[in-house]
Amino acid sequence: MSAVPLPTALAEVLARGDVWRGDTLASLPDSTLPSGHAELDAELPGGGWPRGNLTEILVDRSGVGEMSLLLPALARLSSAGDRLALVAPPWLPYAPAWAAAGLALERIVVVHPGREVAWCCEQLLASGGFAGVLAWLEAGIDPRALRRLQMAAEGRPVFACLWRSTAAERTPSPAPLRLVLTSRDDGLSVRILKRRGRPAARPLDLFLPRPGRLPRALAGPSPSLVVARSTAVTANA
Amino acid sequence: MVSRGRLLVCDREAAAAGVAGGQNLSTALGLLPGLVVFERNEAAEVDALYRLACWAGQFTPTVSLAPPQALFLEIGGCLRLFGGVDAIVDAVRAGCAAQAYAAAWAVAPTPLAALWLARAGGGVVCGEAAALSAALGRLPCAVADWPAASLARLDAFGLRRLGDLRAVPAGGLRRRIGNGPVDDLARAWGELPDPRPAFAFPESFGLAIELPARVEHAEALAFAGQRLFAALAGWLHGRQLLLRACSLHLTHDDASLSRLPLRFAEPAADEGRFARLLREHLGRLQLRAPVEALRLVADEVVDRPGESAALFAGAVAGEGAAACLERLQARFGPQAVAVLAEQADYRPECATRRRRLDENSAPSAASTASVVAARPLWLLPQPQALVERCGSPHWQGPLQLLSGAERLESGWWDEGDAGAAGDLRRDYFVARNPQGQRAWVFRDAVGWYLHGLFA
Repeated sequence: MSAVPLPTALAEVLARGDVWRGDTLASLPDSTLPSGHAELDAELPGGGWPRGNLTEILVDRSGVGEMSLLLPALARLSSAGDRLALVAPPWLPYAPAWAAAGLALERIVVVHPGREVAWCCEQLLASGGFAGVLAWLEAGIDPRALRRLQMAAEGRPVFACLWRSTAAERTPSPAPLRLVLTSRDDGLSVRILKRRGRPAARPLDLFLPRPGRLPRALAGPSPSLVVARSTAVTANA
Repeated sequence: MVSRGRLLVCDREAAAAGVAGGQNLSTALGLLPGLVVFERNEAAEVDALYRLACWAGQFTPTVSLAPPQALFLEIGGCLRLFGGVDAIVDAVRAGCAAQAYAAAWAVAPTPLAALWLARAGGGVVCGEAAALSAALGRLPCAVADWPAASLARLDAFGLRRLGDLRAVPAGGLRRRIGNGPVDDLARAWGELPDPRPAFAFPESFGLAIELPARVEHAEALAFAGQRLFAALAGWLHGRQLLLRACSLHLTHDDASLSRLPLRFAEPAADEGRFARLLREHLGRLQLRAPVEALRLVADEVVDRPGESAALFAGAVAGEGAAACLERLQARFGPQAVAVLAEQADYRPECATRRRRLDENSAPSAASTASVVAARPLWLLPQPQALVERCGSPHWQGPLQLLSGAERLESGWWDEGDAGAAGDLRRDYFVARNPQGQRAWVFRDAVGWYLHGLFA
């Protein structure tokens, strides 16, 4: 009988602003960041992109969907109010597209450090103020510099992603997670070169939403349609 | 250090050679011919004490000066904040050491007791009255600033320690050596009140420091600068302000002045952060003449907003984003660090704006037209001309167009401006090459161009 009024009284007490509940503890930052792709999460140790460890993504040709692979994770970071840093991106970010992908532009910082990309990354990682650092390293980076970056990232809830070319595939790296991306039809083929735990067996094919109509839609009379379209454009122009 | 031909203090090496305070300069030079001698500069000592008083503002709001040598910090009210006497003493000593001051210190319930204990060697913490009485009782009478005649009389009575003085009747002592010393004793033991005038933190901050030698390399200014910034940090804390901009004025040996402005991405009051930023700036600074003096002026300050500390949230180790970016900016130049922002312009070149760090982050005029068509994440700095074969553009193979044309046209309003995109008339397509790369290409009256990448 006496148990009945208790929940209401408790609810009233809990509704007060000056009452602090033990279960609303500041949660410890997760050690991984869900990638937004279920198949990929299943393969990544801990079920997502690692935080506090370097991730190397080896890709030769840009424009195959390599950023789209990261966008769900980056959007998650951004919506949580965290900052992202792009270090030495080789192209100009096109702000409306980043905003449309769900990233808060005022929390994206672009840094062009000249030749000191690795040093700059180290500072950004060690500052603890960024939840994501994406860096385009120069080609012949010293393994010691990579080791320093790994040390800087360790123990901090930062998703540190380094873009490198597939030429670096054969050279050892301290990054605990290394992926090779190649384009495959209308998706992306992800080969996990190195990860903690058992080695990955086979490449993973991911479907990513890509702009433009699928080529399959143009399957039958595809060449003729494109030719017709381009000739039409030629005629317009 | 020499004053009026007599040695005041010497360093350890000189002491090992037999040099001691009170010697004639000629005696000292005879003992150690290589002795480097500095004339005592009392004005500089007073300045240093003033700087230290400013610096001490970070420990307690109640600081008082006891020229020429002593500084009182009232720490009774700050013990909880710092976590005990030992913690605050360690912090003060570390701060002194960082500025290369050798401090003799003591903690006692009364200022005079602390002063005497510090003079007698220091390093004592007397929390309770009993411990204080015992510690004071052991001190020689000479620690007090009493007239030499009084001290000589006391010595003649055989009263050599303060404890002996307390043991004899105060009335008799008062008749023999005067009221001053006896009152001092009562103040030290806490029986008489001993109010001290509080140091008033100045309204605006501007402190100068004269360098002991002419400095020709900018990096060498970091040390002297650090003392000024330490004082600035204490002053900001004492007045509950945050610094947005300050400037360092360098006086060259030809009496010319140069100014090094320092700006902060967000208002700050952290000494370590000032020092790091200063080092970055000095690393890039070229001195046009040797420097003789430095002057630090706080140009722009704002009130410190109140903040409540989190109960459980773990503090993130590290200096934080703003401080880091500020340093990067100091190192790589103001153009190297930018925040993304949108601009209401449909011409792709103009839709992105690079916002400076300290620019007000007012919600920028985001483009009102919602973009329905696909937009690439990356743009090429300049559209890249593509060859056209058999009626279709080529970029590492023939490009297959995956979308209809999207016409972006006009821009007459800034035509002719330097660096502006100007009037354009383009048809944009999403295209794909045989390697699977998706590109944003356009064609205009001249031909095909690659403009973006759907990464």
